[in-house]
Amino acid sequence: MSETIDYDIRSSAHPVRSWVVTMLLFLLLEAAAVLLVGFAALFLSLTPSWSAEGPLAPLTKPGDARSGALLFKSDSGYAEAPRLGIDVDVVVSGPTARARVTQLFKNTSAQWLEAVYVYPLPPDSAVDTLKMIVGDRVVVGDIKPRQQAKVIYEQAKREGKTAALTEQERPNIFTNSLANIGPGETVLVQIEYQQQVSQEAGAFSLRVPLVVAPRYNPKPIVQSVDLRPDSNGWGAASNDPVPDRDRISSEVLDPAKSDPVNPTKITVRLQAGFIIGEVKSHHHQVTVDSPDTKTRIVTLAEGVVPADRDFELTWKPAAAAMPSVGLFHEQVGDADYLLAFVTPPTVAATAQRPQPRDVIFVIDNSGSMGGTSIRQAKASLLYALGRLQPGDRFNVIRFDDTMTVLFPGSVPADAEHVGSATSFVSALDARGGTEMVPAMRAALTDDGSDSERVRQVVFLTDGAIGNEQQLFETITAMRGRSRIFMVGIGSAPNTYLMSRAAELGRGAFTHIGSVEQVEERMRDLFAKLENPVVTGLSATFSEASADLTPAVLPDVYRNEPLVLAAKIDRLAGSLQLKGRIGDQPWTITLPLAGAAEGKGLSKLWARRKIGDAEVARTMRQMTPEEADGAILKLAMEHQLVTRLTSLVAVDKTPRRPDGEPLKLAELPINLPAGWDFEKVFGERNRLPAMQKDRRAEAEGEVQLAALKRPVVPAAPATITLPKTATDAELSMLLGLGILLLELIWLAAIRRRAAN
Amino acid sequence: MPRFVIPLVIALVGLALFGHGALIHAKAIVAQVLLDRAFNQTIATGHPVKPWSWADTVPVARIVVKRLGVSTIALAGSSGQALAFGAGHVEGTAEPGEPGIAVYSAHRDTHFRFLRDVRIGDEIEMVRRDGRTFRYRADAAHVVRFDASGIDPAAGGPELVLSTCWPFDALTEGPERYVLHATLIAGE
Repeated sequence: MSETIDYDIRSSAHPVRSWVVTMLLFLLLEAAAVLLVGFAALFLSLTPSWSAEGPLAPLTKPGDARSGALLFKSDSGYAEAPRLGIDVDVVVSGPTARARVTQLFKNTSAQWLEAVYVYPLPPDSAVDTLKMIVGDRVVVGDIKPRQQAKVIYEQAKREGKTAALTEQERPNIFTNSLANIGPGETVLVQIEYQQQVSQEAGAFSLRVPLVVAPRYNPKPIVQSVDLRPDSNGWGAASNDPVPDRDRISSEVLDPAKSDPVNPTKITVRLQAGFIIGEVKSHHHQVTVDSPDTKTRIVTLAEGVVPADRDFELTWKPAAAAMPSVGLFHEQVGDADYLLAFVTPPTVAATAQRPQPRDVIFVIDNSGSMGGTSIRQAKASLLYALGRLQPGDRFNVIRFDDTMTVLFPGSVPADAEHVGSATSFVSALDARGGTEMVPAMRAALTDDGSDSERVRQVVFLTDGAIGNEQQLFETITAMRGRSRIFMVGIGSAPNTYLMSRAAELGRGAFTHIGSVEQVEERMRDLFAKLENPVVTGLSATFSEASADLTPAVLPDVYRNEPLVLAAKIDRLAGSLQLKGRIGDQPWTITLPLAGAAEGKGLSKLWARRKIGDAEVARTMRQMTPEEADGAILKLAMEHQLVTRLTSLVAVDKTPRRPDGEPLKLAELPINLPAGWDFEKVFGERNRLPAMQKDRRAEAEGEVQLAALKRPVVPAAPATITLPKTATDAELSMLLGLGILLLELIWLAAIRRRAAN
Repeated sequence: MPRFVIPLVIALVGLALFGHGALIHAKAIVAQVLLDRAFNQTIATGHPVKPWSWADTVPVARIVVKRLGVSTIALAGSSGQALAFGAGHVEGTAEPGEPGIAVYSAHRDTHFRFLRDVRIGDEIEMVRRDGRTFRYRADAAHVVRFDASGIDPAAGGPELVLSTCWPFDALTEGPERYVLHATLIAGE
C-alpha cells in the first residue's frame, strides 16, 4: 500500500500534486498526534500524582506508629537495646504519698546509646524532681519550658554530654530520654512525684501504674474544625486526632515470643497516721511488715515483677469507721496550703424514694479488651443489668471501630428487654479498633423526653485510646443533663481518661482489675448511681482569703469524700462547707487551727490548679492562651512537669568522643497482663506489614538503631495474587513517542523540500 | 522514494502501539457498560447472565466506593481474559459476607486504578449477585510479593481484600502487589 502511494508520488509529473499529497499526509499525522496528545493528557490528569508516591496516605491507620516502631530498621542493622530496671519507692504520709521512681539503664552494647522510655504515672501526680546518676556524680534537673528543655537536651546530646529529659505526653504518660550512655555503662534516672492518697468506700488506696497500654489512635480521616468565635467563620481543619501518636506508642513485646522485660521492684512505706487495719494488694503478691501499729512496709513477695500491670494497694483503719474528716496544712514561704477531706454522712437510701432513671450502658469490645478484660467488662455489665429497677429504662451500646445501639431508644427494664440485652452482652467478642468518640456521642444523644428522669451513662472501657482530648471535647459539648460514670477495666486502664471523663461528666469512676473485683466495685458504683448526691456545695473561709481548687465544688456521691485544696494567706478561723443531701441541708465547719502538718501539699495544690486550667481549656471557659499562661506560671513556680514544662539534667563534662556515633534505642514494653496480643496486633500477623524506615532527625552522626524482631513470616496457606498490570500505558507512551519523533522528522523533511 | 517509506512505516508502528494500548482501555470501559447491564439482569432474574454471547465468564459482584464515586463489576475468576474486562474474584476465596477472605484483583491501570485513592476508613460496598449488599471498611494496606501474600482465604471473619499491581505508576510488570484489606461492618 505504502509502496503504491510512494510510487505515485515519485512518478508524479506534477510537482503541485506531489506537494499536496505530502501536506495532506503531514496534516493527517499531525491531527492524529494532537488527538493522541489530548488522550494522553486526559489519562495523565486522571492520575494527579504521577510520581511514584508511596501508599503512605492509606497507611495512616490505627497503631501505625506502633507497627513502624516494630519494624524500623537502620541502614547499619540491628543494635542491642539497653536493659532497664525499675525501682519504685513510695512513702505514704497521711493524706499524701511521695514516690521515687528509679530507672536503671544498662547499656550492654559496645556503642554509645540514647535510650527513650515511655512510662505511666498516676494522672494526678506532681512530678517535681529529676536526678541523673552517672558514675559517682549526681546531676539534678531543672524545670524549663518544654521547648527550651528540648533544646538544652539536644545540644548536650550533640556535644557528647550525658543528659536526661523528662517530658509529659499525657497527664499519666511521661517519657524519659537519656543521651550518651557509654558502652557497658549504667546510668540511673530518678524522678520523684507527689500524689494524693485516694479515699473511697471505707478504704484508702494507692495506685502505681507500671505500663502504658497500647493505645488505639484513630486515623486522621474525619477532619475536626475548630471555629473560634472571633475568627469570623474562618478556621483551620486539624487533621490528626492524635498528633503525637509516635510519642505514646512503644514497641510491645509479644508475651508468647519473648520473656517479660523491665523488672520492677516496689516498696511502699505506709505511715497512715492512724492505727492500720487490713492492707491489701489487689494484683501482686506482697509481704507486709509492721514495725508499729501506725506503720506498714509493703514489698513484693517475688522481689521483682515484670512491669505489666498496675500496682494497687488499699488499706483500712483498724477502727470500724473511716475518719470522715481530714485536715492538713503545709507552710511554704508566707502562704499556707490546705488539704481537706470531708465525707458527707450517708443518708439511708430508704429515706428517699429512688428517682426513676435512664441508664445507658456502653461497653468497649475492641481488640485491646481481648483476654480477661472483656470477661470483666461483660461480668460487670451483666451485674449492672441485674441491678436495674422496674421503674428504670435502659439501653446498651457496644463499640469497637464499629458500633451497635441495641434498642432504638431507651426501653423499660422489664424481663423481656433485660433478657435480650443479657444475651446480646453475653455474645460479645473483643475485636477491632477503639472508636470511642462516636460511642460517647451516641450515649449522650438525649431525645429530651421525660426530662424528670435522671440520665446516667455507664461507660465500660480500658481507655486505651490516644485521642483523649477529642473524647473530652465530645463530653463537654454534649453532656447536657447526662452524668457519666466510667468503669476502667483491665490490668492497666487509662486512669487519666477515666478520672477526667467522670469529672467532665459530673459522675464518678471506678476501676476493675480482676473478675473478683467486679461485684464489689460495681456494687459501690451502683450505690452511687442509686443514692442521692450532695449537691449545691459551697465553701467559705471565715478569716483567711483563699485560692480554692476545685473552684466550683462538684457534686459528691455516696462513700466519696469531697477533696479540697486551697492556698490561704493565714491559718486562722474556720472553713465552712454547705450543701444539700437530697432535700436536706447539710453544713460542716472545720477549725483551721486544728490542721495537722502535711507534706508536699503545695505541689498537690498546684497540680490540681493545673488540672483545673486544662479542664477550663477543654470547656472553653479559658482561651488556650490564658490557660497555657496560667499553667506555665504555676509549673515554673512549683517546679512541676506539665504539658508545657519538662525537667532536664545535663552532666557538665562531655564524655562521648567526637566522631563516635550515638544510637537511639526506644525501649520496648510488656503487653499489659491479661491482654491478648493477637487481638491487638493480630492483623499484622496475618498480613505482613510493609516495612517502613524511620530516620533519625537532623544530625548525621545519630543513626537509628533497632531492637526489633524480624517481620512475622507469611502463613503457609496463602493464595497467589494474579498478574494485574497491562502494557496499555507502556504501549501508549511508546506509540506516542514514536509518533512525536516521526513528526519532528517530517517537519525536517518538509523544510528541506521547501528549500 | 525511501524517505517517505520509512516515516510511514514508523508512523504505522507508532499508531499500532498506541492503538493497542488505547484498545485495552477502550475494552475495559466498554465491557463495564455491558457487564453492568448483565449484572443488573443477574440480580433481577437470579440466574447468571453472560455479558455478551461469546463471553466465558459471568459478573459476580459490584464493588462500590461511594466517596470516590467508583462502581465497578467483578467477574468470576481472575484469568487474564477476565481481567481485561473487569475485576476478578480470585478462585477459591470466600463470597462477600461469608466467613473467610474474599479476594478481588484487577489491573492497576484500569478497574483498580481507584485503589490508590482509597483511604483507611473508607467504606467499600460489595453487592453480591443475589442482590445482597455488604459494607466493609478499609482498615489496612500492605505491599506484598504475589507469591507471599500471606492471605489465608479460610482464616478470619468476613473480610475483603482488593489487590492490584504495585507500584501504581510503574510501566512494567513487577512481582509486588498492593493489598487493601477491609473488614465487614454491616450486611443487609
